Amino acid sequence: MRPASAIALLAALATVALITAHVVVAGAITCLLLGVCLRAPRSRARLYIAGTLLSALAVFVLTPFIETIGSHPLLTGPIVPVLGQIDITSEELWSAGLNALRLAAVGLAFAAYALLVDHDRLLQSVRFARPAALATRLLPTLERDAAGFVESLRARGVEVTGVRGRAELLSPLLASSLERGLNLAEAMEARGYGRPGRSGLPAPPWRARDVAAVALAVAVVAAGALWL
Amino acid sequence: MALARTRNLTFTYPEAEAPALRDVSLELEAGEVVGVFGVSGSGKSTLLRAFAGLVPHFHGGRFEGSVEVAGRDTRTTRPAELAGTVATVFQDPEEQVVLTHVAREVAFGLENLGTPPRQILPRAYEALGAVGAAHLAERSAVELSSGELQRVCLASALALRPSLLLLDEPTSQLDPAGAAEFLELVAGLGVAALIVEQRPARVLRHADRIVHLDAGRLFDGEPEWPELAEQDRSVPGDVVCSLQDVHFAYPRRRPVLTGFDLALRRGEIVTLAGLNGTGKTTVAKLAAGLLKPDSGSVVRTGRAAMLLQDPGRYAVRERAEEEVALGVCGDRARARRALAVVGLAGHERRHPRDLSSGERERLALASVLVTEPDLLVVDEPTRGVDPARKAQLAELLRSEAGRRATLVVTHDEEFAAAVGDRSVVLGREAVRV
Repeated sequence: MRPASAIALLAALATVALITAHVVVAGAITCLLLGVCLRAPRSRARLYIAGTLLSALAVFVLTPFIETIGSHPLLTGPIVPVLGQIDITSEELWSAGLNALRLAAVGLAFAAYALLVDHDRLLQSVRFARPAALATRLLPTLERDAAGFVESLRARGVEVTGVRGRAELLSPLLASSLERGLNLAEAMEARGYGRPGRSGLPAPPWRARDVAAVALAVAVVAAGALWL
Repeated sequence: MALARTRNLTFTYPEAEAPALRDVSLELEAGEVVGVFGVSGSGKSTLLRAFAGLVPHFHGGRFEGSVEVAGRDTRTTRPAELAGTVATVFQDPEEQVVLTHVAREVAFGLENLGTPPRQILPRAYEALGAVGAAHLAERSAVELSSGELQRVCLASALALRPSLLLLDEPTSQLDPAGAAEFLELVAGLGVAALIVEQRPARVLRHADRIVHLDAGRLFDGEPEWPELAEQDRSVPGDVVCSLQDVHFAYPRRRPVLTGFDLALRRGEIVTLAGLNGTGKTTVAKLAAGLLKPDSGSVVRTGRAAMLLQDPGRYAVRERAEEEVALGVCGDRARARRALAVVGLAGHERRHPRDLSSGERERLALASVLVTEPDLLVVDEPTRGVDPARKAQLAELLRSEAGRRATLVVTHDEEFAAAVGDRSVVLGREAVRV
């Protein structure tokens, strides 16, 4: 499938998940996108899926303590200074579930884009998409850099364990990505990037499934806006 | 008329105390192949960047004198405009690949130059074929070995059909046969080429002229390099690491090793060579315990440590001594001793990323040596290392050889001959010991 068609579908699903007021719809989209992400190699997909689902879980846990809605309390807690009385209503739980599923759906749509879409072809497509495509390629590069740092530490007998151990790699990761970004920018300029009159590889013709995917994306968004 | 020339070029990088190039005047005729030698940090890469227009446009800094390429002054011509007339291959292949699909990566420069769409892929495939990488065209760049990636970068430059090729250690990752073929190809293209190399013998037979840089100043001819002396050999002792009937394949790829055997004994240095992509680094990682075999056994006694190819991976901490101390539970005294052994005394408090590429290589070596392993595995330790440093490295490895088993993965035949007791050559079909 063409990258544009795949992105249209993923964006449509994420949009519907954001605008729907139904937990079931958001849940179904989340499950669908999770299935799509699982088609990527497990070792790569694990990071994206775990990150997204943990973020969604955090939203689910925190929302009832932050929101104050509903009149059907399930739990009445103590009075906490500044926050007031801590209670959890069924409406708050419902809202928390919906928000968590929305976040999960958007996160998984991005994960599917990062894991499965052909970024090369996106980079070679319309000019405005190129910086975005380059920026999103940073994630796989960061994955490789992180694996490289862990490997270099293991190569001298140091095992990276726990959240703290991994957190300590953030600073060198940032530094190496900045350095890599500069080197890549230099190499791109030396190869004529940014020069007027750029051509491109002949674009493959639109196939029936590409057209169908874009049509489906439009239909999904329309259905979401009108009925969901 | 010269195709390219520098006149009294002096250049200082921003925030640098001393100029990287000093009063450099050099003329390149069309079709002339010039070899550029010099120790690490002498200004070789900066000279190439000046011809590409990247100095000063990309780097900034203080620029005096002039550089002209094909009649255009680089001060008023951006590097992107010079692309096509000039093609550059940088030192590190991993940091210049833009796209992940190999054929599209080679096509990237052609697209930027506005090549007619129908000509792009045929030219990309032709260039890949010229560097012996046609079989890689449909592969993902992420899967390639460093040597294969270097071939892709060379193809990307050749595809542009430039008048001037700027090659910064273009064969550092290539096997000897591949390196010889590539340099022969460059010499036969009829285009001017400026080739920076740390293995002079490779370039000498193809170059029309040799120049060398010393602290940014240009001199005609070759500098005096120390000979890589044959070192004393020690008597092999007990087996420290044994690989028996090892089979290994990366996920979703064809097998790299099938039924591989190797024994590494204390006191001996084994060198591992072979064509690009034949699994040398895989063997090294299996021996060091960084990979596990699919079947067969890898048995080690004692501690193993490995120096990986990319020294940039040894920059986890903020100071050189902290980086080295990582492997010895923060023991800074040992770290400082290890830094002194590799010639980095006085650099203890510097940030690893502020070190030059040669210094980074040595920092990485110190980070591994400090652990005093029973098995030391080093992967391409002479990449980007000048002959003087290479001789020191050979001496260091030999002097410590009696304390451990050592496996050296290298394409550098001269270095292998100087340090190795025994060599193993990996081939596509067989292993020769």
